[in-house]
Amino acid sequence: MTTGLNNLKHIVVLMMENRSFDHMLGGLSLVVENGEKKYHKINGLTGDESNPDTAGNVVKVQPNARFQSQLDPDPDHHFPGVDLQVFGGTLPGPGRVANMQGFVKDYFTQTNDVKRSHNIMSYFTPDKLPVLSALTTQFAVFNGWFASIPGPTICNRAFAHYGTSFGQVGMDIFYILDPIPSMYERMTQAGHTAKIYYYDQQSSTMEVVNLLKNQPEIFGSYSQFIADCQNNTLPEYSFIEPCYNDHLGPGGGEILASDQHPDHNVQEGEQFIARVYNAIRTNPTLWESTVLLIVYDEHGGIYDHVPPPICTPDGYSAKPADTGTGEAFNFDRLGVRVPAVLVSPYIPKGTVVPGTEDAANGRAFEHACIPATVTNFFLKGDAKRTIREKNANTFLDLLSDQKRSDGDIPYFKLRGN
Amino acid sequence: MATPSNVIHVPEPEPGSYNQNRAAGKLLQSQTLHLREALIQHLNDLVSVLAIDPRSLKTEGDVSGYVKKATAILHTHAAVSSGK
Repeated sequence: MTTGLNNLKHIVVLMMENRSFDHMLGGLSLVVENGEKKYHKINGLTGDESNPDTAGNVVKVQPNARFQSQLDPDPDHHFPGVDLQVFGGTLPGPGRVANMQGFVKDYFTQTNDVKRSHNIMSYFTPDKLPVLSALTTQFAVFNGWFASIPGPTICNRAFAHYGTSFGQVGMDIFYILDPIPSMYERMTQAGHTAKIYYYDQQSSTMEVVNLLKNQPEIFGSYSQFIADCQNNTLPEYSFIEPCYNDHLGPGGGEILASDQHPDHNVQEGEQFIARVYNAIRTNPTLWESTVLLIVYDEHGGIYDHVPPPICTPDGYSAKPADTGTGEAFNFDRLGVRVPAVLVSPYIPKGTVVPGTEDAANGRAFEHACIPATVTNFFLKGDAKRTIREKNANTFLDLLSDQKRSDGDIPYFKLRGN
Repeated sequence: MATPSNVIHVPEPEPGSYNQNRAAGKLLQSQTLHLREALIQHLNDLVSVLAIDPRSLKTEGDVSGYVKKATAILHTHAAVSSGK
């Protein structure tokens, strides 16, 4: 066991909303220093990736992503829409190949405007996202972390909490009839500590029907998270939800949504990620004993160039009426790739975890890897869980023996701290 | 330790980014439906306890069962109200 693993006492997961890997991090592959690509191991963009539009034009990826007011209306990310994005319009059937050629076509169904449909190919240059870019290049980035389902938020977030969505591929209310406990129930029933921190009551949680009944034991607010970091009272496992809507705070101040879901302000999300990181980073005891995973729930309909791989089915099947494609879905392939970054002082600078681009050493990750990792580490794998979760990759092997020096590690300067 | 070389300044959103009048998307609309369902479950629990006539509770076992259910509901309600 490495020193980093020996010192580990807390796993913290921050799950953001609806941005693809290439949209947020793909530009890192194009950074050139001294005539060479600085981050050549990151499987980002070459600049030549393209999609056809509905007028027959070839639309290349563009470094013109904006913080707000560009992806409005909200790009489609429900099951049939993602099917079109991934398979380019080839209808379900044997032998069809994921080619990632349907993003512009699908966004046209939202915009009814050929020019605006091109916005789905936009990406951020790294200077626009100083927080996510710094964490990506300073710690570990996963080249192959995918949404668990080619579908929307609720079912994907369920995978982070249960290792399965119990057959759901959409946003419907569902009830859990099978004896697969949530990550929080597993932890607390075994005498461990776990909490979901939502931003505040106006924002609340996206994990409502099945988990909210466990109030107040497994829920806390963001302000409590900050206090728990300061007071060394952070649970062993924490899951953090950003703010999901613009609203007025208790003193009447404006609170912006920080989830980065289109059309929410991406810079506010950067601020939120930085605050969560700083809360851990500025407490030396916590910093040395914590690993922070920043991951997005799904791609939000935005372009990524990597075809989602197949995966271990979780034993459920969604009916054709639920998928909307005319074909059942057996949870045997993943959703579109999303950004995922792992932070710890025990992670060597510039770590890139190879994904599907590396046939020999690559590993595919998805949200079931979260309960798999937490359950294996804290509970030695002792929990009722799906075969999908049991077979999921875990990520604590990235912690090394060597703790990095403090001066080598970024600190984010924000308003008010 | 924060030194000039490792400090990264994080820009703030532009003034005017706040928009409480932005149309609520599918995710937020879905969240309200899920919350409503959770409230109905909560209400069902409440109704089942209110359906018990306290005067019908004769033994300490009867009372402790009632008290447990009532306290759990009140505890949850208080926690949610105070934002804990």
